[in-house]
Amino acid sequence: MRYDEEADVRTDTAIKIMALFFASIMFLAFTTDPIASGTKEGQRAPSLEGMSYNGTGWTEFNMDDWLVDNWTETNTTAEWLVVEFMDTDCGFCWEAAEKMGQYADYFSKTNTYEGEIWDGPVINFIANVGELNIQGHESSRAEIEAFRDKTGSEACAKGDCSNRPGNPHTFTYIDDLDLDNMDSWNTDGTPTYYLLQPDGIVAWVSSENPNEELLGAIQRLTGGE
Amino acid sequence: MDANIVLMLYIIPLLFGTALITPFFPTLGTALGGRWPQYQIPRRQRLLGLNLVLLIGFAISVHTLWISNKISEGGAVCSSSTVFSCDDVLGNAAYNTDPVFGLSWGMIGMVAFGVLLFLANSISKEPDALWAERFARYGLYLTVIGLPVIALLISYEVAMGKICQYCTTAHVANIIALVGFWTIGRMHERGDWNDDEPESSTN
Repeated sequence: MRYDEEADVRTDTAIKIMALFFASIMFLAFTTDPIASGTKEGQRAPSLEGMSYNGTGWTEFNMDDWLVDNWTETNTTAEWLVVEFMDTDCGFCWEAAEKMGQYADYFSKTNTYEGEIWDGPVINFIANVGELNIQGHESSRAEIEAFRDKTGSEACAKGDCSNRPGNPHTFTYIDDLDLDNMDSWNTDGTPTYYLLQPDGIVAWVSSENPNEELLGAIQRLTGGE
Repeated sequence: MDANIVLMLYIIPLLFGTALITPFFPTLGTALGGRWPQYQIPRRQRLLGLNLVLLIGFAISVHTLWISNKISEGGAVCSSSTVFSCDDVLGNAAYNTDPVFGLSWGMIGMVAFGVLLFLANSISKEPDALWAERFARYGLYLTVIGLPVIALLISYEVAMGKICQYCTTAHVANIIALVGFWTIGRMHERGDWNDDEPESSTN
């Protein structure tokens, strides 16, 4: 029998290990279809956590509890989510508060909007309240409560919080005064709106669609009227 | 199948490999040598154990990457309300990639265990090569480099208040591999590195 005197076992081993590696990669490629995590449309939204206020008290909030695993478009009863990133000392948020309250009631089917009844899936609204690093933007949980409920004598963007436009809100507010959620969502301006599918995939972002209103985006993407 | 039962399929061969690497279970080596005479040699027992541990480390890294991908699709693989919930750890976008390159930890595990497997397998096939001792040293260094990475990942688990049992098994495999490379390095230094039959005690 002839032997290859120049042969090196390392080459043979390297080829076998690489074959094992690439077989594993192929297995992963054929059996999974990963979705990147991020805040662009089509990506899976990062986690949204913190203490939340729903009108009665402060409780732990985790967005995962609101999502539906393995959601498909045929499931028309699953609930979507709108996340508003806001600051109680932001003038634009102050102005938008009235419409946000009306949209939240309309899409949760608790009220009509301009005489119309929403026939699409329920859309839940969440407000994530940050404290932007801008002079004069100093917030607190008391201010969050005052902005949401229109109570107390806290000072918000354009005056006393109880005087902000619109009715008291019925949706959940999250304390993100330390900006943890805003950082992980790469959001630095307020108000910014995200529409999330029931499975947590970002369906629409206001910053990517400056020419489209939240109302129109919800109607277009959820198929309701 | 329950994720913890699947995990046992990794843990059992990992324990078997560990038993071969360490000198605390001589009966296992004796039994193995009785069935396959080539494994009467301690060096071969240690290297078999080391290769087995590294193969498990590689396979479990593939599995963690698979779980990460499945979670990103919206599925749930091993979620639990208890402290042991690999879905919560592997699905946390803030922690499931390395902070420098953004690579999945599962992929990093695959590459690391793949390189270690190459080193250990090469030594097993040609133990008398001039590079064998150097490869054992490289394996030791690589597994030592893995220790601060493991510490970082454990700090993530502490921050989340959750433990990923699959990740922990991969961490344990790295530590056992460290012991394995150190053991074979010591054997090489001491000259316990040949294929000669053990000398009889009754000369």
